[in-house]
Amino acid sequence: MKHLPKHIRPRWRYLAVGIESLPEATISRGDFQRALWYAAGNLLGDVKSADCDLTVYGFSFDNGTGETLIRVRRGETEPARAALACVDRIDDAPVGLVVRGISGTVRACEERYLGRQTGLFEQRHVDFAAARRPAICRDDVAEISLSSGSVSATELDFE
Amino acid sequence: MYEAVSAYPDGSSTVSRHARTAARYGYDGLIVRTRNADYDADAIAETYGIDVVSGIEIDADTPQQAAGSIGNFRPRCTVLMACGGSDELNRYCVETDRIDVLSRPMAAGGDINHVLARAAKTNRVFIEFDFGPVLREHGGNRVKAIRKLRKLRELVEYYDTPFVVSANANSHFGLRAPRELCALGEQLGFSADQIRAGLRAWSEIVARNRQRAAETYVEPGVRFGRVDDAENTQNESNEHNAGPGQ
Repeated sequence: MKHLPKHIRPRWRYLAVGIESLPEATISRGDFQRALWYAAGNLLGDVKSADCDLTVYGFSFDNGTGETLIRVRRGETEPARAALACVDRIDDAPVGLVVRGISGTVRACEERYLGRQTGLFEQRHVDFAAARRPAICRDDVAEISLSSGSVSATELDFE
Repeated sequence: MYEAVSAYPDGSSTVSRHARTAARYGYDGLIVRTRNADYDADAIAETYGIDVVSGIEIDADTPQQAAGSIGNFRPRCTVLMACGGSDELNRYCVETDRIDVLSRPMAAGGDINHVLARAAKTNRVFIEFDFGPVLREHGGNRVKAIRKLRKLRELVEYYDTPFVVSANANSHFGLRAPRELCALGEQLGFSADQIRAGLRAWSEIVARNRQRAAETYVEPGVRFGRVDDAENTQNESNEHNAGPGQ
């Protein structure tokens, strides 16, 4: 179909979002999109969530961290932020989400807020809670395995 | 703006991991609700540039138990919180000026009415708006939590009761940035200014209690020392990390 003349096209804002989860989590673009639309539908209702759009454009997730670019209609960024805040789990993996910034174009958003690489996770043993325990470490953070589950820590906790 | 969290062993993230995330999200400080959390506040402050404050959240079943805990824990922390529950417990908490914050007042069947809202204002007990269930619950539980938040908001607005806002995270994944909480609050009927005021209120409590814990503090409005040094003394007391010793 022929695209709309420029003056009548919808205006968009692009949200750069940082994602953090457990190292073993595998989150795909489809999983994230579904969780986001569910969260928006539940919090804002069908009408408002349709207004927001919330289409996931770019998505990358690997080794427990990722980033994504979400398209939102101009003027609806605050409801979109609220819906995004309500995404707490994706496929049973807890996720921490933060809006790094908002831009008017995909390119500006990518250049300014995305592309922050982090190191890879590595297996090692650390001293924590009076014992030597297996941990998955990356940069200055670690997920330490305990009998009761895993604990998220930083190097300040075991050095 | 400050946020209050439950850390390991009550939560699944250590204090330093919470602090790392909170600093990235733009918080100035972090209050630790967990009594037996093991951390070095100075090292965390130096590494991540965030003020880590010792707090204790009392989780008592009856006013009698709460009274015992207040006596034990008040001198050992900067911010003392009491977890709400039954109506009797909520009433006791808002009438006890040694408690700083009544947290989760509407959880576990508890309720707040006009008498409690007025008492909280009189005794400067801050009432917490707990956004945890809105962020992490689903379905009917979430609807109930939103309904209770609205009732609490209407009472707090009418009686001008002091309040704090928190996402009540027990893992660093549960933390949300101030702007996200403002946006969520706006959807729930709060204004963004109210949410920001609620996050800033934590830092007011911390500053007040640190000032009270300072050696130069005598009583409200009275300080020991030379008048010329008053400003310096206040700055020093704000940096002091010990418990309030009311």
